[in-house]
Amino acid sequence: MELNATGFWVFSSLAVLSAIGVVFFRNIIYAVLSLISTLIMVSGLFFTMGAELIGALQILIYAVAIVVFYVLVISTVPEFKGQAFETKYMLISVPVGFLIFLELAFVSLYGAWSSNTGIFTQELIQQVGNTKAVATLLFTKYLFPFEVASLILLVAMIGAIVIGRKDHVIDEEAEK
Amino acid sequence: MVPYEYYVALSGLLMVLGLIGVAIRRNIIALLISTELMLNAVNIAFVAFDMKLGEVAGQVFVFFILTIAAAEAAIGLGLIMAIYRLRKDVDTETLTELKQ
Repeated sequence: MELNATGFWVFSSLAVLSAIGVVFFRNIIYAVLSLISTLIMVSGLFFTMGAELIGALQILIYAVAIVVFYVLVISTVPEFKGQAFETKYMLISVPVGFLIFLELAFVSLYGAWSSNTGIFTQELIQQVGNTKAVATLLFTKYLFPFEVASLILLVAMIGAIVIGRKDHVIDEEAEK
Repeated sequence: MVPYEYYVALSGLLMVLGLIGVAIRRNIIALLISTELMLNAVNIAFVAFDMKLGEVAGQVFVFFILTIAAAEAAIGLGLIMAIYRLRKDVDTETLTELKQ
C-alpha cells in the first residue's frame, strides 16, 4: 500500500476514535487528553495532504497553545459534580447526527465543484513548495485579512484580561 | 493518492461528532471542546478541497481559523471563569437567569 494511503487510514481512524472519546468521556480531563490526540492526528492528516505549513501550525498553535488554556481553566474550576450527559438529547442527537453525516457525505461526493480549478497547478506547487505558495498568497491577496486577524488577537487578549479579572481588585482600587 | 472524498467524509464525521457533543454535554468546558472539534473538521475540509483543486487559498483560510480559534478559546474560557466565580457552577442546566 502506498505510504499516503497508510497514513490516511491510520491517522483518520485514530482521529475518529479520539473524537468519540472527546464527546463521550465523563471526566473532562480525559476529554481534553483525547482532544490533544485528535489535534495531533489531524495535523498528521494535513501532512498526508501535502500541507506542511498548516500541519506544523496545527501542532504549534492548537495542540500546544490552545489546549494549555483548557488545562489551566480545568485546574481552576473544581470537579464537575452534575450529570455528564443530557439523556433526553442523547436519544435524538445520535440519529439526527447520522442523518447530517449522510447529507454531508452525499454533498461532498456529488457536489458542484468537480470542474473548478485554482490558480496554482499541481506542478507549480511542487516546484515552489507548499509553504512558499501559502505565504505568497497570505502576504499579497490576503494581506488585509491577515492584519485584521492580528487586531482580533489583540482585542481578544485585552478582552480576556478584562473578563478574567477578579472583582475585588477593582474594589481595592476604588477604596484607595 | 487517497481520493479527496475520503477526507471530506472524515471531516463530516468529525463535524457531526462535535455537533453531538454540543447537544448532549452539560459541562460548559466540554461544549467549548466540542466546538474545537467542529473547527478542526472545517480545517480538514478546506485542505482537502485545496488538494483537489490545486489551490492554496483554503490553507490561508485555515490559518485565519487557527487565529480565530485561539481568540475564541481565550474569550470563552475567560467567560467560563467569570461564570464560575459568580455562581460556583458550570452546569448548563442551572444557568437559567435569562429565562426568569
